[in-house]
Amino acid sequence: MICAEAISCNGRPCEIEVQGLTRRFGKTLAVDSIDFRVGRGELFAFLGPNGAGKTTTINMLTGLLKPDAGEVRYQGERFDPHRLAVKRLIGVVPQHNNLDRELTAAENLLIHGRLFGMSGKGLQQRIGSCLEFADLTAKRDTPAGKLSGGMKRKLVIARALLHQPEILFLDEPTVGLDPHSRRKMWAFLRRINQQQQCTVFLTTHYIEEAEALADRVLIIDQAKIIAGGTPEQLKRSAGNYVLDIYREDEVQNEFFADRPAALQRLEQLDTSVRIRETTLEDVFLQLTGKRIAP
Amino acid sequence: MILHGVRAIYLRETLILRRKLVKTLLASAVSPALFLLAFGYGVGRGAQVGGVDYLAFLLPGLLTMSSMNQAYSIATEINISRFYFKVFEEYLLAPLHRWQIIIGETCYGITRGLIPVVIIGIYSLLCGVNLQFSPLFLLALLLHLAIFALLGFIAAMIVKSHSDQATINAFLITPMMFLSGTFFPVEQMPLAIRAVASIFPLTYSTQLIRATLTPEATVDYALFAVLGGILIILFLMAKRIVAKVEI
Repeated sequence: MICAEAISCNGRPCEIEVQGLTRRFGKTLAVDSIDFRVGRGELFAFLGPNGAGKTTTINMLTGLLKPDAGEVRYQGERFDPHRLAVKRLIGVVPQHNNLDRELTAAENLLIHGRLFGMSGKGLQQRIGSCLEFADLTAKRDTPAGKLSGGMKRKLVIARALLHQPEILFLDEPTVGLDPHSRRKMWAFLRRINQQQQCTVFLTTHYIEEAEALADRVLIIDQAKIIAGGTPEQLKRSAGNYVLDIYREDEVQNEFFADRPAALQRLEQLDTSVRIRETTLEDVFLQLTGKRIAP
Repeated sequence: MILHGVRAIYLRETLILRRKLVKTLLASAVSPALFLLAFGYGVGRGAQVGGVDYLAFLLPGLLTMSSMNQAYSIATEINISRFYFKVFEEYLLAPLHRWQIIIGETCYGITRGLIPVVIIGIYSLLCGVNLQFSPLFLLALLLHLAIFALLGFIAAMIVKSHSDQATINAFLITPMMFLSGTFFPVEQMPLAIRAVASIFPLTYSTQLIRATLTPEATVDYALFAVLGGILIILFLMAKRIVAKVEI
């Protein structure tokens, strides 16, 4: 089923629809009545600082946590974790590499396949192709505990793709990776989105990751969604250019719609000033008064 | 197809067990050997209990206690996979009913519990004690192992951290080991201890397994019904608890 307002899913059929999703832990409001939609085939980033509510949201979207209020719909149908068919639509890459360290790469995939009801030659072929896709064929019989951090991450992703989900959730997929491995992971994620024709929903607190990867970005802070759109839309809403004005012990920012306006203001200032293009970090700073990664 | 989750979980657990089989075998062999030396050849040497030699009384008790420990030890493994390695999330995310998780883990607990049975069977041969491994014994053993595997599963589901598990072990498992007729007949203990022992399932399974293993003893068939009842109650409890489990 396709939702009526396809335009709010970035011009695509609606894959995920979230309305009023709320979750408390004791007195702490972890996610506060959030609404959003994700279009089919989108690469969608949920951006926010640590503790903003990103993981709690993913956990509710995948049935690991029960929402206190609100609902989730997949392809128009209400998500009920007790209805097993919908779980086959979803692949999940958690923040931690939750692999069985004693088992080999292939055995980790085998168990996942069996849990999803796969068996026989079909499963073996799928294990082979997922390992190949993740460049892990040579590590097939290596215990997962002996793989490098980047390989473990790829194996977790390959595992999540094994049952050919239509939606892949990735919680902080590049956390703990060095900059080189992170960039390789971005290319891998783009490949998943394009070649596996998978809707990708990822959470991140890395601004550059959201900018580099996402078709659309949703910014969350203190349990609430504070902005959303394509990276370009978000930057445009703040102003395409920013002046970093260096005062005595602080840096002030001023935003401008275009470069001439920024240059005009620059000429009026008698302190050190830098002109540059706006980033999503600036958008976050403008909306919340703080940086994502302090 | 409906049991694919049970099979997958059992496969995962037994693959890991195979990787650490030697360690598990050694751990299962050492503790009963020490108890056998200390109680069988030390404290109880030459004594008679209920008309049989103390060793013939002790060995079935050790078998029951050690197999209980192994079956219950899945609690620690589930705990580690839940709180530390987070592998348990894989089960919660998979398209399977949660009762399949209970049965898969229980089958694994039963498998683990069989390891000390084999070891103590060998000890009994070495000690020259005649234990009667009959189908009736196997049925009693199966009930016993399923009960303690389920108890381990429930414990793993209700604790909030790894340290909570140690508390359960200290207040439930250790007293059960010593007060349920493993080393001494429950009837010889003070009334208060007997009352405590009567709430422990190990008391009933020890009594039943000892009777099925000892050629001279008479089997109280009502104990099968007692253990069966405990098993059903624990399964229903586990089903209720696991339905509410979040990560």
